[in-house]
Amino acid sequence: MRRPWQQAQRSALILAGFAATATLLLGSTWLATHRTVADNEIAAQSALLAQTLPADSFDNVLPASRQPLPTVIQQAFGSREALTFYTARHQGRVSGLIFENVAPDGYSGRIRLLIGLLPDGSVHAVRVVKHQETPGLGDYIDIARSDWAHQFGGKGAANLPSWRVRKDGGEFDYVSGATVSARAVTAAVGRTVAAFHRYHATLLPRDTP
Amino acid sequence: MTAIHSTHIAKPATVSTVMLKVLAALLPGIALSVYCHGVGVLLQLLLASLTALAAEAAMLRLRGVAVLPALKDLSAIVTAWLLALSLPPLGGWWMIVVATLFAIIVAKQLYGGLGNNPFNPAMAGFALMVVSFPAQMAQWGSPQLPLDAAAQWQWIFLHTLPAGSVPDAISSATPLDVLKTGLRQGQALAGLLPQSSAQGLIALGWLAGGLWLWRQKLIPWQTPLAMLAGLLALALPLWLWQPAQYASPLLHLLQGGTLLAAAFIVTDPVSGASTPRGRLIFGFGVGLLTYVIRVFGNFPDGIAFAVLLMNMTVPLLDQYTRPAVFGHRKGRS
Amino acid sequence: MTTPASASRWRDLCHNALWKQNPGLVQLLGLCPVLAISNTAVNALALGLATTLVTTLSGSAVAAARQWIPNDIRNPVFIIIIATLVTCVDLAMNAWLHGLYLVLGIFIPLITTNCIVLARAEAFASRNSVRAAALDGLMMGLGLTLVLLLLGALREILGKGTLFDGAHLLLGDAGHALVLHLVPAGANYQFLLAMLPPGGFIGLALLIAAKNWLDERARRRAAQRASQSASPISSVASTE
Repeated sequence: MRRPWQQAQRSALILAGFAATATLLLGSTWLATHRTVADNEIAAQSALLAQTLPADSFDNVLPASRQPLPTVIQQAFGSREALTFYTARHQGRVSGLIFENVAPDGYSGRIRLLIGLLPDGSVHAVRVVKHQETPGLGDYIDIARSDWAHQFGGKGAANLPSWRVRKDGGEFDYVSGATVSARAVTAAVGRTVAAFHRYHATLLPRDTP
Repeated sequence: MTAIHSTHIAKPATVSTVMLKVLAALLPGIALSVYCHGVGVLLQLLLASLTALAAEAAMLRLRGVAVLPALKDLSAIVTAWLLALSLPPLGGWWMIVVATLFAIIVAKQLYGGLGNNPFNPAMAGFALMVVSFPAQMAQWGSPQLPLDAAAQWQWIFLHTLPAGSVPDAISSATPLDVLKTGLRQGQALAGLLPQSSAQGLIALGWLAGGLWLWRQKLIPWQTPLAMLAGLLALALPLWLWQPAQYASPLLHLLQGGTLLAAAFIVTDPVSGASTPRGRLIFGFGVGLLTYVIRVFGNFPDGIAFAVLLMNMTVPLLDQYTRPAVFGHRKGRS
Repeated sequence: MTTPASASRWRDLCHNALWKQNPGLVQLLGLCPVLAISNTAVNALALGLATTLVTTLSGSAVAAARQWIPNDIRNPVFIIIIATLVTCVDLAMNAWLHGLYLVLGIFIPLITTNCIVLARAEAFASRNSVRAAALDGLMMGLGLTLVLLLLGALREILGKGTLFDGAHLLLGDAGHALVLHLVPAGANYQFLLAMLPPGGFIGLALLIAAKNWLDERARRRAAQRASQSASPISSVASTE
């Protein structure tokens, strides 16, 4: 019969053996997959970003063009947290900008948005990236639920005077019973358009003709 | 084949008399409801009753229980009416049908029928609708713009309106909803208070019915009073503290289904607590939760969820509030 | 090669895992993913298959290593084995089924904490042959998958009026052809309760009730058959 100390040593060795084998297995699996995983993540991000700009309007890798928004400008976007934006290029020329923005006043918390703007300052498309609006009520702002977000396409600085939902005298639709969600998103998109209109000289890189 | 029931179960005749009186007690409120919202209310009551009877009969047959005696106890009609009075008076016909089917089939019969359901069937049906169809459930007719009878029927069955009708007549939100949405947007409370007294008027109807039921000794006083006390326990201090942010206790008493619930829903003998102290705790809990869900939650009114949550505590309440066994209490009461 | 005795043992094993001791309906183990991911048939199937893969592999691995595992440290060793396998499956899905991986999210790594995996390692694999343990793991996983698939299909049909929506995540572009629209896609049909967590609970309760009803009916019929052949008196008494 072995003494407890020896038995503990044996157990520890066995456990270490299993741990080492597990590490080996995990390491090799990671080596086999990590490139594909990274590619997948970039592809998924690109696919989401690409939805906000016209197809084939750019040829650069969008996630790689990510830049922080200058703090001075950030306030014009109506956000208290740091924002980033992406620059789309076609043959080196800027063909669009994608802004992240946050609508702080959703019915249940913040609504995170991606807003694709063309160089002339008009909206191409808006995507809700993250929200907690009531399922079946406020979630129509999500493109997976309804076409509501499509109405921003083509609207620009010229529309700013009436950039509100119809209920508040503006030109954007909403679903009655869930005005708050539409109001929050509409306002955030409007702020983004206005801020771009004001600061486009700073935001658009110099190489634009 | 005459069934011999054990003696402690109330005779069917008694149950149906009680239920008949409950239905009668609902009449003043129904009359005021029709006065404020129009005949659509009656159509909802009719649809609910027919659906409830059909569902109850079908389920009793499936369960191999005698159909007629159980139908005659009228409990299905009571559930149906409570549901019809809680749903929007101008909701589409399928809404009340789906809600009633769920209440009778799932919440009542699947648990073993009258006397065995842990959850209040009407509130289960209401919760189903408010979770599944929040947009439709938020659309109450505006009492200021009543549609005529024909237009109401057309809307409920066909979902179309006669030319020239105002969409607000069918899609305006309830006062509680307007209040919550407005406050979240930072609007001033004063501008959001209900413009009409319709809801308050109907609430008085429920109050009258409830008082009559209490005089008839059909409902205890503990549950309704405790529920109102629970509601006020939060509404009053918060209102005194920040009257610009929190609506007055009176509004909370008269708006939404507060008095309907106090008189007819928390007093349900099957899904509610059965000891006097248990009733006090049960009612108080419903009141507190109602306020919390109403004011801080995501749904327009919190009564249904409050009742369902407290239904879950009933077995515990009944066990711990049973009258004392000899010499086993330590001076707590 | 298999003797009659072992053949009946295999059958018992399968019957036990798929019906009598079904992890989803009887043991009620691993309810968190069952309720969270069963909102569509494809999600449910994918999670079920991933779990099956893990139960099979972990069963075999534990059975193969069982003679080297001292009794007093068996649980840490089981956990190491299970966590390693789950992480491998997680990485593999992230790499080769990325769309599905995004949908299933946290629930793949959470298979580690699914009690059914550890329970089978402890109760079965640690004291049986590799072959038996692999079969047990496979069958237990399939039993869970079956329940998940049923629940997922039920909730998807009721909640969205479709069946196998999102099949392309599992099968590639060919999956698009598999999607059945039981309600015309344009009708915007939605019954949220079925898609939200309460629908998972209610749906699972209905499935458990259905299984109990089937068992009860089978038992009644067996009893009837037995009593008919045994004594006429008792059968008269049991008709009422």
